[in-house]
Amino acid sequence: MTSRVSMGRPLTVALWAALMLVPLFADEWSVSQLGQYLTFGILAMSLSFIWGQVGILCFGQAIFFGLGAYLMGLTTLERFTWFGGSQTVGLLLATAGPALLAYVLGKLLFVGRGLSGAFFAIVTLCAAMIVEIVAQHTDFIGGFDGLLGIPPLMANWRVGDEMLSTNETFYVVLGSALLIYLAALFVQRSPLGTVLAAIRNNEDRTASFGYRTIDYKVLAFTISGAMAGYAGALFTAQFGFVSPAITGTALSTEVLVWVAVGGRGVLMAAFLGAVLVRFVESFLSSALGPYWLLMLGMFFVLTVVVMPEGIFGRLLRLPLPRSWREPRRVPAQADHGDAKPALAKALESS
Amino acid sequence: MTFAVELGLDTLSYSLSLLLVSLGLVIIFGLMNVINMAHGEFFLLGAYSVVAVQQLHMPYWLTLLIAPLMLAVVGLILEELVIRHVYHRFIDTILATWGISIALKQLIVIVFGPTSQSIVNPLPEPVHVLGVVYPSFRLFIMGVALLISFATFWVFYRTHIGLAIRGVIANRPMAASLGLNTRRMDRWTFAFGAALAGLAGAVMAPIMSVDPQMGGGFLIPAFLSIMVGGIAHLLGVVLGVALIGTTGTVIASVDTQVASQVAVFLLAIVVIRIWPEGLIGRKR
Repeated sequence: MTSRVSMGRPLTVALWAALMLVPLFADEWSVSQLGQYLTFGILAMSLSFIWGQVGILCFGQAIFFGLGAYLMGLTTLERFTWFGGSQTVGLLLATAGPALLAYVLGKLLFVGRGLSGAFFAIVTLCAAMIVEIVAQHTDFIGGFDGLLGIPPLMANWRVGDEMLSTNETFYVVLGSALLIYLAALFVQRSPLGTVLAAIRNNEDRTASFGYRTIDYKVLAFTISGAMAGYAGALFTAQFGFVSPAITGTALSTEVLVWVAVGGRGVLMAAFLGAVLVRFVESFLSSALGPYWLLMLGMFFVLTVVVMPEGIFGRLLRLPLPRSWREPRRVPAQADHGDAKPALAKALESS
Repeated sequence: MTFAVELGLDTLSYSLSLLLVSLGLVIIFGLMNVINMAHGEFFLLGAYSVVAVQQLHMPYWLTLLIAPLMLAVVGLILEELVIRHVYHRFIDTILATWGISIALKQLIVIVFGPTSQSIVNPLPEPVHVLGVVYPSFRLFIMGVALLISFATFWVFYRTHIGLAIRGVIANRPMAASLGLNTRRMDRWTFAFGAALAGLAGAVMAPIMSVDPQMGGGFLIPAFLSIMVGGIAHLLGVVLGVALIGTTGTVIASVDTQVASQVAVFLLAIVVIRIWPEGLIGRKR
């Protein structure tokens, strides 16, 4: 561990507080834009969860994002007639569907001898490309044009003025992002998260401790898929439009860039990376034109080579949970069947 | 009958050009353990070197020399600037080369514009082969691909350099301690792989639509071929390319391009699922 005194916790809290205050001084258009960036931030957290915590590099995270978006769109446009266009059902479907897909994909690719890290990345990259092509040619979901006119988030409990205002939508999205962040953080710092991190550091060793690493990987992948799907649903409700492009390789690799630039190992850094890169892009892409992508690509390479932890990774890293820092002193003989302190120690030394 | 012959020739020409791309990829992967995501963009640079040569009103055949040389230099520079810093971080090589691919693609967009370029076919007259009229340039492509592939195999399995390369692949520390300069071999292998991709791009450019997105179209099947075939032996790539190329071309001819891409992907997934090491696995 680098330093005893960590700035991670106060900085994280300050960042969330700052996001809460944005609508007070920003104009309506910026707030709605920021609301969309926040959904990309959730997507980035989902990737950081599977990549930073478990060490599985997924090149197809947008598959889940896009599936969530499409499910939300299809439900609220009443293409699935039996739900009556309910947004709640849409959000639920958009979370459960991608989770299920991630579960199946995980089962398919991890079980048995499984795919090694690099091959998994390539397979997911190919999968994203195939999904995009299939989406372009499926008429039920709108083909090339995608789904248009998806209704914005509504407040069904209010009579009369049902449509949420820009600021209200923003707070719904921000609240979702915060809840997802806290939930993912809770998982990361729970015993489950310890096992996941142990798999990242050395899968064989973790398996020899008696953990079914495949099940853990599939579970983590499922959680990540659910997060991405929910983000997709929120994005769609704000953007009002789903096209095949958001399921494909383009967004998949973009989110990879955000997470790598922000910091793959820390949820908050990945989130901030996504929001900031999008934010900077909205300013610079018009000024720099085609040079923006060139610069981003080179900056990405530079980050990977020089700063594997990302720009914010070191800054926003939270201190380890107290129980990990000071493992309970257990008499040596009584320590049977509980490998957690050993795992925690292995993590600290790495 | 003519349909079958034509399909066979199409399959052969597609598979052979895919082999050119895959060979470079698999040698780089085997020797350096680097998954080169920028390989599609090396192919792209090769294709655009044809555009540049055409704009300068020079004969097409010059590019067969220029493209590999240029890409070898590009490969050397990138290896020196980026790749060698991330050798020991396996996943990061994927990311770094992916970043390179984004930058290179965008560079092409800036220099040549985002739209597709048309290339004048240097061998416009068709020829009669086995009773069908077939574009002669495709036959030329097959010839070049065969020649280069055989040359690569010969170097790899019949020369002293090839022996050294295979030694490094089998056991890098041992090879290094026996006095092989692994650093220099990495550098030149990367340059050679890049040159192969560049040549493939230059050869394929006249029969493809040359646009900045064309690299990915070859990269994905090439990766699938490698995973299907396995990386233990160069013959694995040949097998993978044959399987992927044939499936793709045949299904595309009877059904749509979309069905063909989906089928190829599913086939690859099934094969990888059953034989994770590829069809020609590593001997243990």
